[in-house]
Amino acid sequence: MPSYRHRVLLSLVLAAAVAGPVCDDPQRDGRTVLRVANWGSPAVESDFMRIEREIWGQFERLNPGVRLQIEQIPGYGQYAPKLIMQHVAGVAPDVISLDLSAGADFINNDLLLDLRPLIEADPEFRRSDYFENLWKICSRGERIYAVPLDFTPMMMFYNKRLFDRAGLPYPREGWTWQEFLETAQRLTVRRPEASRPSQFGYNFENWMPFWVCWLWSNGGDVLSPDGRRASGYLDGEKSAEAIQFLADLILQKKVASHPADRAALGVDFFLNGLAALDMKGHWMLIDYRARGLDVGVTTIPTNIGRPTTVIYVTGLSIMKQCKRPDLAWKYIKYATSEAVQVKRVASGLAISGNARAAAHYAGNPIEDAFLRAVEYARAPWGSRVENYAVCEDFGTEMMENILYGHSSVPQALREAAKLMDAALYQ
Amino acid sequence: MSERSRTACRGYLFAAPATVYLAVFSLLPVAVAGYLSLHRWHLLKPDRPFVGLGNYAHLLRDPLFRNAIYNTIIYSAATVPLGVITALLVAMLVARPLRGVGFFRVLYYIPSVCSQVALSMVFIWIMAPEVGLINYCFGRLNEVLAATGLAALLRQTATLFGVSWSGQIDTMTDYLHRPGWAMAALVALGLWIGLGPRMIIFVAGLQNIPQELYEAAEIDGCSRWQKFRYVTIPQLAPTILFVAVTTTIAAFQLFTPVYVITKGGPQRTTDVVSYHIYREAWQKFEVGMASAQSYILFAMILVVAALQLWIMRRGLRQEVTG
Repeated sequence: MPSYRHRVLLSLVLAAAVAGPVCDDPQRDGRTVLRVANWGSPAVESDFMRIEREIWGQFERLNPGVRLQIEQIPGYGQYAPKLIMQHVAGVAPDVISLDLSAGADFINNDLLLDLRPLIEADPEFRRSDYFENLWKICSRGERIYAVPLDFTPMMMFYNKRLFDRAGLPYPREGWTWQEFLETAQRLTVRRPEASRPSQFGYNFENWMPFWVCWLWSNGGDVLSPDGRRASGYLDGEKSAEAIQFLADLILQKKVASHPADRAALGVDFFLNGLAALDMKGHWMLIDYRARGLDVGVTTIPTNIGRPTTVIYVTGLSIMKQCKRPDLAWKYIKYATSEAVQVKRVASGLAISGNARAAAHYAGNPIEDAFLRAVEYARAPWGSRVENYAVCEDFGTEMMENILYGHSSVPQALREAAKLMDAALYQ
Repeated sequence: MSERSRTACRGYLFAAPATVYLAVFSLLPVAVAGYLSLHRWHLLKPDRPFVGLGNYAHLLRDPLFRNAIYNTIIYSAATVPLGVITALLVAMLVARPLRGVGFFRVLYYIPSVCSQVALSMVFIWIMAPEVGLINYCFGRLNEVLAATGLAALLRQTATLFGVSWSGQIDTMTDYLHRPGWAMAALVALGLWIGLGPRMIIFVAGLQNIPQELYEAAEIDGCSRWQKFRYVTIPQLAPTILFVAVTTTIAAFQLFTPVYVITKGGPQRTTDVVSYHIYREAWQKFEVGMASAQSYILFAMILVVAALQLWIMRRGLRQEVTG
């Protein structure tokens, strides 16, 4: 038989186990806890994370009664589903970094607080400090759901050393598909009897967010203007031409890398100096600089006489379940302020959504090319259309079917459009 | 309270933790899933109408879900018999009282204690074009064929049959993007991961077979095959049944390798039901539909397991009655 002491001990352990979760209130160590969610692994040690920690620490020093509970959620694809599950379970964080390319799932389902009353009640906050185009993406009608934190348009990077070696001029802004094709052909290096070029003109990566702008640059699109169907648009003439152009670059002209090439070597061709052109966002500059790659930036080639691209924006939002919106707003105002943003974007991850902070880094050709793109860049469909991530999966799968010879371009487009229609109607 | 009541009370108290666990984490979710499956239930939509069997009717018409069922059946049909046979053969090898046999038992068991994600990554490398193990071996084989002149001979032979072939094996093949190969890779991985536990169960079963039966069979002049057929198999029948049923259940629930390696591709040839359910629930947030899919998967497992039990028990009865 257990002794009396054992029984008491057992009771205490059980009581602690039961009471633990119940006692989880927002007040800890006498300080109010503000939960802030962000994507990315907490274990990653980078300049960016070090700066982030300094910024969070400074907020706590400025607000002694507040403790920031930073919740890093690893796995980009898992971020939005986990936040949504937290919302459903009633344990959502107070402030979230919102990737506006999946913003519709949050905005259309009323998960976020309208920030307009907080903005208008705050005399210190100036909307004009932020890029106007970004506000449009963060808003729905009169309601504002996020304050722009940072952003990146997709741009065409080029390796200056490879261009110099080939004796080619750097690509101009507003260059055309034809110019792009000729450049890529001249930058592709083949060795006799080798199974693949030793240097590709263009580094193609099959993920729909990375290639959707090619459709736009030919006047095509994925969805109808109201975002309700893909049939007639994704499988329309202009989109089909764009996809055929990409497929030809890879399969017929062999100047762009095939996904199998990347699977074989397991490396990023552009990052390793094995491809001359690559369409990516500002975040890649961190890696390029770390590798000592001398890169330039230009617009995505166009077939419609004007440049076009997609802009991926991150904003800070307050979840509707937040019990201290005033405190959450204080944090958002702090984190998006000019002083903090100047420090935050120093790592080169993205461009500040605060135009005054972004101006600190202007004046060099790369930053200026990105800043010019803000004027003409388009919002991703996922900022308006729910379930768009599923459509992007269908798009990626469609391209895979084309590149691996499972389907012809028209057939793959028709099938993908049909699947997207079904996903959008649900 | 009488002594009998006190004993009963103590018994219930001992059983309580497991019962509560089962009720809260198994029975309750099953019941809730049943309820959800009868509704059009999107996690974020306030409107959740009762649709009766509407979700089930929709799924029966849905070509993508039917495709997922087909893939699951293909995977199970390959994994279950192969898994049982390979595990039995390996168990017979390692059940022998030989020196160092413990090392091999551990060796075969190691994959089952490794992370499935890590094993999946190993398979991605094995199947990778050019640098993957398979293509690397083909590359070395190509060198041998070229050095010995066999490549030219093969080329000429192919030409005789009107086939244009260089006599060299293509080492750029991306097996994980070839429909048949991707499924074959999943089957091979399934066999590798499941071999250890199945082998251990068979070893235990083999060691429980009375040695006298083999001795009697030897006296009767039985060959090794006859001993296997008329002693080992009948004595092992309950174990085979158990392994077959558990392997079937595991095969129908395949998820991690699909999630890590193929994401259901290429051309949705590896989109199995569990992965389909995951996407329905956590990408589209259609938990009503996902619950209906889960119930269909449950029904499939139940029917197949019951069928296996019935067939094997029938076989066992016939063995006993002669």
